[in-house]
Amino acid sequence: MSSLELVVFTLGEDEYGIEIAYAQEIIRIPERIKRMPDMPPFMEGVIDLRGKVIPILDLKKRFSFKQTERGLDSRLLVLDLKGILLGIIVDDVSEVIKLEEQAFEKLSTEIFSLACNSVEAIARIDNRIVLILNSTKLKEELVTKWHNEE
Amino acid sequence: MIALSELESCKVLAELLTNFIPGGVIFSIVERDTFVWVKASSSFSIEAIKVGNKLNDNSTTMQAIRQKEVLIHNIPRTVYGKRVSIISIPVLDNNGDAVGAFSITIPKLHPVAAAFDDFAPILAEMFLEGAFLYMSDLTKIAYAQSSQKFDLPSVKVGNDLTDDDIAYHVIKTKQPIIDEIDASRFGMPLHIANFPLTDDEGDIVATIGIVTPKKTAFTLREMSSNLESSLTGIAAAIEELSASATQIHSNEEDLNSHIKEIIDISEKINEVSDFIKEIADETKMLGLNAAIEAARAGDAGRGFGVVAEEIRKLSAQSKSTVPKIKQLTETIKTKVEEASQKSNQSLDASQGQAAASEEITASIEEITSMSTELSNIAKTL
Repeated sequence: MSSLELVVFTLGEDEYGIEIAYAQEIIRIPERIKRMPDMPPFMEGVIDLRGKVIPILDLKKRFSFKQTERGLDSRLLVLDLKGILLGIIVDDVSEVIKLEEQAFEKLSTEIFSLACNSVEAIARIDNRIVLILNSTKLKEELVTKWHNEE
Repeated sequence: MIALSELESCKVLAELLTNFIPGGVIFSIVERDTFVWVKASSSFSIEAIKVGNKLNDNSTTMQAIRQKEVLIHNIPRTVYGKRVSIISIPVLDNNGDAVGAFSITIPKLHPVAAAFDDFAPILAEMFLEGAFLYMSDLTKIAYAQSSQKFDLPSVKVGNDLTDDDIAYHVIKTKQPIIDEIDASRFGMPLHIANFPLTDDEGDIVATIGIVTPKKTAFTLREMSSNLESSLTGIAAAIEELSASATQIHSNEEDLNSHIKEIIDISEKINEVSDFIKEIADETKMLGLNAAIEAARAGDAGRGFGVVAEEIRKLSAQSKSTVPKIKQLTETIKTKVEEASQKSNQSLDASQGQAAASEEITASIEEITSMSTELSNIAKTL
């Protein structure tokens, strides 16, 4: 992995990146999201995306942000996490960027486990810091882990 | 009666007296029917009384010689051109025959005329605006006296009386006339009073007149007329002023509505720029999606990825114009609001102006009516 192409999006004031291979598309947040009964609060419901039903999750709620309101730039980023198609609500999808490996700084395992979330590395782009999400961990966090916690 | 031998003494006496008798005198000696000696005062002379001239048989002197009697006759103007009294004293020789006469000719003057030169110069100066005094006989101006302040240079001693002269009408009607004459004849309006003077028999022999200028009244009338015309000018100017104030008022109202339109337009510009932002957002999303698609296509999508990147840059540029436009429209709004405030201020000022010019108009109307009154007063002076 000499270089990595990332889709960069924001949650509040923080920037996050996910490998472009897991991104399928970016759309505006649909007006109608079908609510599902007996779901965790970050699960917004489901939508019909060109004939496919996909679940919608609010990533800020999942990541326990205090401010979770949406703005004009809020988008739905549709991910394909190894066979599971889901949409995450983010504040803005700002860019697609290609980074060399040297730009990444892996977090230590201890802190990684302490945080118990899907952030696996930090990338520096000029003065910005982008938190890189691990797709496998994210899938776990979004789909599997919740049930385990229950 | 004078004896021939006494004649020389008479001559001496006469020569001494000639210039002492007020009004003048002519002493003359006639031998038979011819003047042989004449002595006249410097102020009085008669052409016909001259050494060598023969006398008319009907003359007072010839009658006195014939009747051997002292005769005193009043001679009418028709004989010598002026009224005179003649005293003729026959001169007798040793035989008691009348051989000639000693005559004294005295001008017969109305007492007023006799005193004219004494009183007229004083009287003329006694009027505030000066006065012009004159006397006429039945046909001519006989005396004229101007004052320092007022003169009628065209009225000269010796001028014939005409139909235009008040004196002419006084003689004709035998009545005093007090009248006014307008500025057409002497350049300014005048008061004139003329009285007939009669002799002992009650016949009119002369007139006396006094002319005073109505200068103050004239000036007053002229001034009030000037005042009136200036006031008319001012009134017209003020009318123009209030018309332009009305114009300013309507202009300001137009300006205000234009300003509202400008504000509306800048709102619309904002709407347009919102639309630009929307398109930029849409384009950005399109660019990002294209980049994702390109990544999925791997090597084959590389060229497409470049296009996607360009699209994203373009959208970012478009989006960056939006806050700039917003800033400009905000500036427009502020400036326009300032302009609106100023225009409201000048609207207030122009209303104040309109009120002030109304007040001035009222004052001018008052002054105009006063000047009319003034003009009326001047007419009665």
